[in-house]
Amino acid sequence: MDVPQQVDLSPGENEPFWELDETPELVQKRRSQGRIIFDRFVRHRGAIVGFFFLTVLFLFCFLGPLFWRLDPDLIPNDVITSRFTAPDAAHPFGTDWIARDELARALAGGRISLLVALTSMAGAIILGVGIGSFAGFYGGIIDNLLMRFTDVYLAVPLYLLLFVLSATFTDGSPKSVVILISIFGWTYAARLVRGEYLAHREREYVLAARAIGAKNLSLMFRHILPNVAGPIIVNATLLIGSNVILESVLSYFGFGIKAPNPSWGNMVADGQGYFDQAPWLVFVPALLIFLTVLSVNIVGDGLRDALDPHMTER
Amino acid sequence: MGRYILRRLLQAIPLLILLSLFMFILIHLMPGGPEAVLFNPRLSAAGRAALRASFGLDDPPWLQYLKWLQSTLTGNFGTSFTTYQPVSSIIATCFPLTLELFGSALLLALIVAVALGMLSAVRHRTFFDYALTALSYFGISMPIFLFGLLAQDIFGVQLHLLPTSGTSTPGYTFDFFNGLLDHFLHLLLPMLVLSLTFIAQWSRYMRSSMLDVIKQDYMRTARAKGVSFFRMLTRHALRNAIIPLITIVALDFGAVAGGAAITEGVFNWPGMGLLFITSLEGRDYPVLLAMLMLGAVFVIGFNLLADILYAVMDPRIRYS
Repeated sequence: MDVPQQVDLSPGENEPFWELDETPELVQKRRSQGRIIFDRFVRHRGAIVGFFFLTVLFLFCFLGPLFWRLDPDLIPNDVITSRFTAPDAAHPFGTDWIARDELARALAGGRISLLVALTSMAGAIILGVGIGSFAGFYGGIIDNLLMRFTDVYLAVPLYLLLFVLSATFTDGSPKSVVILISIFGWTYAARLVRGEYLAHREREYVLAARAIGAKNLSLMFRHILPNVAGPIIVNATLLIGSNVILESVLSYFGFGIKAPNPSWGNMVADGQGYFDQAPWLVFVPALLIFLTVLSVNIVGDGLRDALDPHMTER
Repeated sequence: MGRYILRRLLQAIPLLILLSLFMFILIHLMPGGPEAVLFNPRLSAAGRAALRASFGLDDPPWLQYLKWLQSTLTGNFGTSFTTYQPVSSIIATCFPLTLELFGSALLLALIVAVALGMLSAVRHRTFFDYALTALSYFGISMPIFLFGLLAQDIFGVQLHLLPTSGTSTPGYTFDFFNGLLDHFLHLLLPMLVLSLTFIAQWSRYMRSSMLDVIKQDYMRTARAKGVSFFRMLTRHALRNAIIPLITIVALDFGAVAGGAAITEGVFNWPGMGLLFITSLEGRDYPVLLAMLMLGAVFVIGFNLLADILYAVMDPRIRYS
């Protein structure tokens, strides 16, 4: 919290209080809202470490191919002798069952996994904010429809619904998985946004904005949205982590991204059968998933603390 | 309270009917369909027509739905397309296994999470607290199949301590006691793996609600009137701190009818999760629909149970 340093105003032993120096600590430098949030986030040591790891992971996957130029799909001619090579200098993460370079595959799979997680997060948030804000702001029939629909949605056990949806709508391409995870993830965001809008639409600042002639749409997106951005941002961050997990679970059961495209999830699933001979085929993608989700979760919690004005020290 | 429960139950009926319609449409939209997936490709046209007729696939979809609804409401979930067994008997073999796995994992998780959460609240901001926080971050972020594979490798392959898959050792016939023991040994690994994620999540809830409770005045009052520290924690603090956790446990338990697909997949535990996946691949419409509806009934039921438990444990909460 940004409580100014406690200043002892009580007069000292020997000096009368009117001779006290100016106390510069009382005059705080004015900081913008964004600056305050940024400072709080930076002070959260775990969040910084998580953010650092996340950046490294993204750079690793997206810039890595510039430095590691092996083709992830290349099956060398000496496939029989060079398959299941344990990690060494030529293949830092070893090779898989048809002697493809595991590092190159981890990079390629990571690009797909991370892109899928990011775009499906964006899709889910856009859908959720769009529908949730209308439902919360206008109430009435839209709200009722949304709530009934999400009731139906939430009544089915998570993975059953996910599997049915994926069997119905995906064809194994990254694009279809993105669409699937977006339409799967928007309901929670919509309920969250709806709740925030319900609370905010009665507030004085909305009334004030309405009094100076703001239209409904501008009330919703110019005035209220910035005020409810905090929980949405936190939800969006955590959604990246859960999307990485969802993608990997889907691919693990063969409902997600399919063979020619590598993804961390299907790499784990494929490597599983060779666990005795080549455990790195499971460990490399699984640890990458783990690291991504871990850093996303920590960053999300750091953001939550930074964005919450009522944050209590805990 | 009675009126409240009755109202919630009545609200659930249209929800379930709507849901069954949604799921029916979704399932019938699946590409392939039983004809492409199940039927022998060399089947004659007449045999094909006979099979279609016996599965009731010739009717228009809306009639199929109404027929399904009618038979379901009379307690008949139909016959599986793949095994020709009644759906109810298939579920009756899988559900107890899932219940066993899920129930034991959640029970273990509850006990461990409550203990860990209380300890780390009492030892707030000590090494133990920070270590537990770090561990729970790990537990929440770890993909469950990595846990599972690691556990299989360490306890099964390296140490030869525990069996890694299935529900019993194949090729042996045991007497009753040894059979039970064998089954328990098979349960141990998946149960531990499944409980770990729940421990990680729940211990966080327990810790934060315990921290809230410990700060209250009545804790000091209890100490002042001479209650021992341990008794204060278990009798006075725990009763209040565990309320939010119990509702979360009830909510999480609602997923039981869907099974723990990932854990069951890794450990080849033939419960509801695996049944669902094989039925999905086989386009076994009756089994899928029955499982989805059963899952929904459990989720809705345990949501209601969570709300009721909340009111029962905290008398300040009243529903009207």
